[in-house]
Amino acid sequence: MSDDPVTAILRPHAEDQYAAELAALAVADDRPRPPGWKLSPWAVVKYLMGGSIGAASDVLISPKYVGSQRLIEIATATLATDRAVLLLGVPGTAKTWVGEHLAAAISGDSTLLIQGTAGTTEETLRYGWNYARLLADGPSEEALVPSPIYRGMSRGAIVRVEELTRMPPEVQDALVTVLSEKVLPIPELDTELSAVQGFNVIATANDRDRGVNDISSALRRRFNTVVLPLPATVEEEIAIVSQRVGELGRALALPEVPAAADEIRRVVTIFRELRNGVTADERTTLKVPSGTLSTAEAISVITNGTALAAHFGDGTLSPADVAAGIVGAVVSDPIHDAVAWREYLEGVVRERAGWGEFYDACRELDG
Amino acid sequence: MTVHLLGIRHHGPGSARSVLRALEEFEPDIVLVEAPADVESSLPWIGDPGLVAPVALLGYVANEPGRALFAPFASFSPEWQAVRWANAHHVPVRAIDLPMAVTFAAQNDDEMLVDAAPIDPLRSLAAAAGDNDPERWWEDVIEHRGDGVLAFDAVAEAMGAAREGTVPSAGEERREAHMRRAIRTAIKEGHETIIVVCGAWHVPALDLEGRAASVDNTTLRGLARIKVASAWVPWTHRRLTTSSGYGAGVDSPGWYRHVFEHPGSDGVSRFLVDAAHLLRARGLSASPDHLIAGTRLADALATMRQRPRPGLAEVLDAADAVMGGIDIVRSELVIGDALGEVPENAPQVPLARDLAKAQKTARLKPVAAVQTVEVDLRTPTGLRKSHLLHRLLALGVPWGVPEEGRGSSGTFRETWRVAWEPELSVRLVERSGYGSTVASAATARLVERAGAATNLGELVGVLERGLFADLPDAVAPCVRRLADRAATDPDVGRLMDVVVPLASALRYGNVRGTDASALSDVFDGIMVRILAGLVPACSSLDDDAAARMVERLTAVQTSLAVLDHSSRRSAFPAVLTQLADRHAMRHGLVSGRATRLLHDAGAWSAVAVERRLSQALSGGTAPGVGAAFVEGFLAGSGTVLVHDTELLGVVDRWLSSLAVESFDAVIALLRRTFGAFEPAERRQIMSLLLGGSIGRVSGFGADVDADRAAAALDTVRHMLGLAITTEPVAADSRELSSVLHPSVGGAMA
Repeated sequence: MSDDPVTAILRPHAEDQYAAELAALAVADDRPRPPGWKLSPWAVVKYLMGGSIGAASDVLISPKYVGSQRLIEIATATLATDRAVLLLGVPGTAKTWVGEHLAAAISGDSTLLIQGTAGTTEETLRYGWNYARLLADGPSEEALVPSPIYRGMSRGAIVRVEELTRMPPEVQDALVTVLSEKVLPIPELDTELSAVQGFNVIATANDRDRGVNDISSALRRRFNTVVLPLPATVEEEIAIVSQRVGELGRALALPEVPAAADEIRRVVTIFRELRNGVTADERTTLKVPSGTLSTAEAISVITNGTALAAHFGDGTLSPADVAAGIVGAVVSDPIHDAVAWREYLEGVVRERAGWGEFYDACRELDG
Repeated sequence: MTVHLLGIRHHGPGSARSVLRALEEFEPDIVLVEAPADVESSLPWIGDPGLVAPVALLGYVANEPGRALFAPFASFSPEWQAVRWANAHHVPVRAIDLPMAVTFAAQNDDEMLVDAAPIDPLRSLAAAAGDNDPERWWEDVIEHRGDGVLAFDAVAEAMGAAREGTVPSAGEERREAHMRRAIRTAIKEGHETIIVVCGAWHVPALDLEGRAASVDNTTLRGLARIKVASAWVPWTHRRLTTSSGYGAGVDSPGWYRHVFEHPGSDGVSRFLVDAAHLLRARGLSASPDHLIAGTRLADALATMRQRPRPGLAEVLDAADAVMGGIDIVRSELVIGDALGEVPENAPQVPLARDLAKAQKTARLKPVAAVQTVEVDLRTPTGLRKSHLLHRLLALGVPWGVPEEGRGSSGTFRETWRVAWEPELSVRLVERSGYGSTVASAATARLVERAGAATNLGELVGVLERGLFADLPDAVAPCVRRLADRAATDPDVGRLMDVVVPLASALRYGNVRGTDASALSDVFDGIMVRILAGLVPACSSLDDDAAARMVERLTAVQTSLAVLDHSSRRSAFPAVLTQLADRHAMRHGLVSGRATRLLHDAGAWSAVAVERRLSQALSGGTAPGVGAAFVEGFLAGSGTVLVHDTELLGVVDRWLSSLAVESFDAVIALLRRTFGAFEPAERRQIMSLLLGGSIGRVSGFGADVDADRAAAALDTVRHMLGLAITTEPVAADSRELSSVLHPSVGGAMA
């Protein structure tokens, strides 16, 4: 790291931003650490879930992941058993966030990252060549350009592979040997790179998106899967949405609009009900629209509504300001989703006390 | 003389193992178990090869089988293992708990025996020690302290501490007094080594030291008794679970059996192997490599959670992360589908007794020969017969099979083919686990079937069965399931298929006085969904699909009319109006039928109908579409044309208004529809159009006598299941005509 103050950077890496917490944990942590790990599995879980370290230190660890500790335990234990972790979930469930913090806590380095895209090639996963050197000197170690995986293997560190399923399947399969043999063959030099203890892979993938590839069963077998769910309770989700909306509003320099707890609750309620296919009182089952309706989308509906209210409305977030955003998010497929939405509107929204204004706003949009 | 008190966890495999070890070690000459004293006569069956766990010991009030208690046993229940051991070693077994005769009698006096003992004190103890798996805790903390003896000493010690300062309730006091007395009796009889197997909670109270026999005798004096009987019934693992409503149930009977059978350190990998076999059978991938990874992950998780060994939570977490398919594993392995067996010669079950009683009141004797029984639902006996036969059908004991008898369209007559096959008795015993009376067992089975039903049709079948069998408690859950299913069914057509049986169920329920308000809520909900999805569902249909859809449209309209449903007035016509419009993606049949239904419902005026008809059959419309429109509009309604002068007028006026060339163009299309009418109908239409009249049987003129018509109309309304109004109806001849001349969309008997 350079000597620049961390604050100058728009978004510092997890290990820099939370360096103090990691250091405090390392001091207090007297449990056995797997080879190559900076912390014990227990301390890793503590780092993600937050809380006090114990009598030895007065540093309070901030929670990085709000949700089930069980899942973080499974992910950490998996990494400790030398198997790779696949974090699976719909967009907006903090997969990347969890991966980054796991890497920061285990290896003290979250920078070994491969972003999977449809254009990712095998070189990105294995190694490439510095063609000038290659032409000048022929194949040699100096001419080899290491990939993050290469570096992670030689350093004994956690490597993150984002959006694994966006890579073409044949490229994904380059990981199979790396994960099972912990070896990267380099046929050009007639040698191989053996992974140092501490090397492992955290991959993320999302199972609900279009345009993603399957994972071959050979590769799937090398991963333990942890499914990160959407927030468990309404209150949890409302808290996440209000907090993020506040932060985003400041970042986008939106004029201050009075906190519209009612509208946030309404958006979260609608999204949860449609996502779960059942009303909050669990009395009526609903059709589930094809969109993900994640917390992230709820946040964007509210920020949109806030912008509408500030610039075109009377400065308070009203049902009409969020109605268009909600309908747009729910109805992503014009046939099936429209039916689901109409059923929901007529069957649930219409009957609900205090939702009359919102119902009228939605009917108006329907034309 | 020594008394060993073995405090156990009911259905705890660890306890069962410890009990067996203690029995082997002490070689008692009598075994006392915590079970109602009056079921003692059933205990010798344990160990009989015909009696396979899980089974339940059923105690019931002899002349009131509805009042019953089930005491389930699994192979890993400590009491089961203790009795089994004793029976195998010819050691006398005694049941020492308060007899059910007293418990039931006390219930009768409204003096409920409230037992304050926690249902699972050892689980609470384990939880207090920070372990969510009481069986692992038992294993690690109790068992591994030493041999079996020490284990029970430790339990007694812990329970002594837990009971410190608590005061037993009156009921608990009685039970424990009864158990103490039984122990004293065993001592008095001169038994040398006495083993008592009881719930851990009772151990401190069964220590005879410092407790006077006279106090217990006073407690137990003068308790009322009632005649009870007991029987063995087959049970299932699923019904052993807490979620099945069994208070002292366990969450994971399948896992417990596994733990009991494989106590060793390879238990985890064995469980994962079973899971892998299961997943492979379902076509999911689960290789030996997965198993290695799963076992390692379970171990790592246990270490991380500071548990000495992986418990169920760790094993499941590991299996889920490595192989997936956790729902299957949970349902099949953790709970499991084990079904017990009861030997044929075991005491008779109360269900059989209740059936015998019901047969007597319904005046229907079980005879092997095939009989045909005509049932008149208007008489109480007839209704009872019908209910009984329907309930047995619901229970899966097909004593009677309904026949499509004569006049089956009537709602008050049923025809049954009745024959009692010997297998039915066996079936009855098999089903006896569902309940102790025909009604309760049939209800339980219907609820189970409703839960397992995979499609709407099946559910409606179950629902109808529940209504016919007069089982209101089964109807509510079916209705609930139906609402859920309907919500997720993407096919509007299937929903429309449900409407007809639902409407008849509603009507039938009304006739029989069943409370059908929940059903009508569901009906309303389904209508909302149909109305929301009908227009998209009617686009891009091929000929076959359109033909089916047309029938469904008619059926829905009929059902709405039968129920006089509110959506008949505006919501459904509004949707029909959309369907009647010309649209490139819409089949002519659908538009035609929608137009016709609008006409029948009186929603469109004759002028509007005529305009739509000529649109459909004018030059701008492709001939095929036009023909389909007419077919949809008129198909199968020759008789209606004969009787509905207005409709005939619409068609006639439109035809007469056609120019010669246009007439030539449509004549071929019309032929297709009119050609399908009966020759007699065509003749009658012809004669009507020529200004003649046809021989009307039920005709009426302008001089309707309002009072006489009203009197008759009440009866007609009653027969149709419509609301009976007292308003005079004379002016409303349109309604009268719609009643007397059933049209396509009108009410039909």
